[in-house]
Amino acid sequence: MSELIEISKGQTKNILLLNKSVDLLVNQYDDSQLNLHVFCLDDSSAEINIQVRQLGRGCSAKINALVLACGKQEVGIHTNVVHEVGDGISEQLLKFVLADESKGNFRGDLKIAKDAQKVSARQTNRNIVLSDKAKMRTMPQLEIYADDVKASHGASTGQLDEQALFYMQQRGLSVGTARKLLLKAFASEVMEQLDVAEHDSIEQLIEQRLARMAI
Amino acid sequence: MLEIKNLHASINGKEILKGVNLSVHAGEVHAIMGPNGAGKSTLSAVLTGNPAYEVTSGEVWFKGKNLLEMPPEQRAREGIFLSFQYPVEIPGVSMVNFMRAAVNEKRAYEGKEPLSATEFLKYMREKKSIVELDNKLTNRSVNEGFSGGEKKRNEIFQMAMLQPSLSILDETDSGLDIDSLRIVAEGVNKLKTPQTASIVITHYQRLLDYIVPDFVHVLADGQIVKTGDKTLALELEKHGYEMVVKQ
Repeated sequence: MSELIEISKGQTKNILLLNKSVDLLVNQYDDSQLNLHVFCLDDSSAEINIQVRQLGRGCSAKINALVLACGKQEVGIHTNVVHEVGDGISEQLLKFVLADESKGNFRGDLKIAKDAQKVSARQTNRNIVLSDKAKMRTMPQLEIYADDVKASHGASTGQLDEQALFYMQQRGLSVGTARKLLLKAFASEVMEQLDVAEHDSIEQLIEQRLARMAI
Repeated sequence: MLEIKNLHASINGKEILKGVNLSVHAGEVHAIMGPNGAGKSTLSAVLTGNPAYEVTSGEVWFKGKNLLEMPPEQRAREGIFLSFQYPVEIPGVSMVNFMRAAVNEKRAYEGKEPLSATEFLKYMREKKSIVELDNKLTNRSVNEGFSGGEKKRNEIFQMAMLQPSLSILDETDSGLDIDSLRIVAEGVNKLKTPQTASIVITHYQRLLDYIVPDFVHVLADGQIVKTGDKTLALELEKHGYEMVVKQ
């Protein structure tokens, strides 16, 4: 059973999920805002299910996720965002860094119902795979039934920029330090969205995690 | 300082350097000129340990140590600096953090304490003035959105920060307007000491009006085919590379 969260008219809900599996259903009513952050920064495998239903007009939903996985860890994130009515916004940014033999899985369902005009929906999934044995699977699924909407999605999986790594090594940085700086830069886009109050403690966790991963 | 002996190197199985010999001593400036595709940039890549290139035979000794056995970062910490022909943009990594990591890793290698944040910023301010680098640029991500001239100035700024004993300037003049060229060249000259040496790789004589070489070498088809003093560069400018390549 999903845990149900209802955000009533005009309300804002900030949710921070750290290192755990969850199954959430969020119902949004008129002009409400959801800011959801997901961080997987320890060794535990996790399954994260997030359903967001915009049932009222003028809602905004932001979903940001950062997964730093290593060892044999497996992290799956499934988002399912449904715009039932118009004038809504949804922005999703999900980033995975996979080291060792870890596995990442992202499935992103996005539905815009037939009469949900003027919706703006964006889904972005960016992943970095640090070893040959790590695997990322990504599956965006868009169902758009309205005609006057802005919807975009992008997914990419790659490695760290070899040229940037060499440039940094040429300045005397060890490969580990160079990787760490590049990965921190990769993570920073997710961090930018985070409230100041939580920013520092999460950043510390990221530092510790990267010190282990970026060897 | 640097001894290159019969160096052969290839990329993707294609041989580019076909037996390069070169000695560089402290205090010297060597210019390496030559037509496109002669192997000029390959030489700088091989000396700095770029993994895209494979050394197939030959030796390189730097201050009495076997350079080819060292990973790129160790070569850098030993004092080899490359001013890249195409400096790499690194979004999200600030110039300040990048340089602080570089300076402190070098200091650690030399057994020195890291600079404190205050010391580091003071040090950086001093060095920025050498190439008249705008304050705004050091607050940005490495090379991101820099103009061509700013990128090259930034290379020389990094050189000033790291104080290498051997600096290799790979086509530092390409894409520079005359003012940037002068600033960059003056920066290089200010950093010159009797203990340092430079290898200036260039296609044109223009840069050598500012950075005056002790030796000019012509690299053609993977080998140094002619060596002379600075007047050789003027001759090449007048007659083209055919005059040496055809011999």
